[in-house]
Amino acid sequence: MSDFTIDSLHAALRGLSTRQRVIANNLANSETPGYLAGTVSFEDSLRTAMRRGEPKTAAVSQGTSANPAFVNGNNVELDEETVALLETGMRYQLLTQAVSSKYSIIRTAIGRGA
Amino acid sequence: MSMFGMLDTAASGMRTHRVWLNAVSDNIANISTYRPMDEAAYQPRYVDAQSLPGANGQYNGANGGVGVRQILFGDPEGRVIYSPDHPLADENGLVRAPDTDLGEQMTQLMMAQRSYQSNSTVILRAKDMYQQAMQIGRG
Amino acid sequence: MVIPPIGAIGGIGSVGSLGPTAGATQAAPGGDFASKISDAIDQLDELNKASDTAAQQAATGDLTDIHDYMIAATEASTATELAVSVRNRALEAFQEIMRMQV
Repeated sequence: MSDFTIDSLHAALRGLSTRQRVIANNLANSETPGYLAGTVSFEDSLRTAMRRGEPKTAAVSQGTSANPAFVNGNNVELDEETVALLETGMRYQLLTQAVSSKYSIIRTAIGRGA
Repeated sequence: MSMFGMLDTAASGMRTHRVWLNAVSDNIANISTYRPMDEAAYQPRYVDAQSLPGANGQYNGANGGVGVRQILFGDPEGRVIYSPDHPLADENGLVRAPDTDLGEQMTQLMMAQRSYQSNSTVILRAKDMYQQAMQIGRG
Repeated sequence: MVIPPIGAIGGIGSVGSLGPTAGATQAAPGGDFASKISDAIDQLDELNKASDTAAQQAATGDLTDIHDYMIAATEASTATELAVSVRNRALEAFQEIMRMQV
């Protein structure tokens, strides 16, 4: 069953899980010489897709961070990545909760309870 | 300001204070870096921080946090000291030492570390708050 | 010592109005009650829309405060449960009436 809100949430969850993977990779390579931190962006694409009424078409794009590199060519900012990891995790939690709560309302209306 | 604005603000604080820590450790490491009289002395680094405007471009207390505007460099003249046995000394026995006050640098080190720690605490508390909010209506 | 006699127990006073429902049960069935139900459904629709909007903002990261979404979602889900509960009770009452021997 398709619902605009559930589709939007689903698209956002896809973006967030990609971001989580990229951040984990950045943290693993925080000392690797020459490694450039990866970034993930999907919010703008999702916003435009939602305005068009087709959240499923939102695209998740990956890029590299423009932060200046340290002496060994690595540009991973440890504080940024740690906080981003935390933030992405909590957003993921919030959105999965939002999806569950939508389905539980539908189930309540059907009469089967949460 | 995003949902988790407090985390972004605290992260900007940690980043800026880490730059400060780096600068101070640079200065301390180079406390004995002498230069000949015909070159500039080692110039100590100073971090010029500025408050960043919020997402809507205005500073209304609801934050973009802090950022490093620029790194300033100290006096290129340095302290001229008399050290005739030093390999870089000129015919008068003078060399340029950096114009760094070790006591001041140590104080800055402590301040930077404390601030870094405080920002880290903000992140922990903010995380608790957000998780509390996510419990509304459950159970 | 004198034990006073037990006085007569007064009649049970009439129960005060319980609010809108009291009026509804006295009105003709299908009149006020139906409009009350449709009002409740409209309100439920509003709450669901508000919750959906907040969820969509959370998806794009535009939501300013988490509690806005959490409260909207809780309101919507509680109102749904209430509406379903009222529907079930109304259905039971209707079936009870239908079962009465005339």
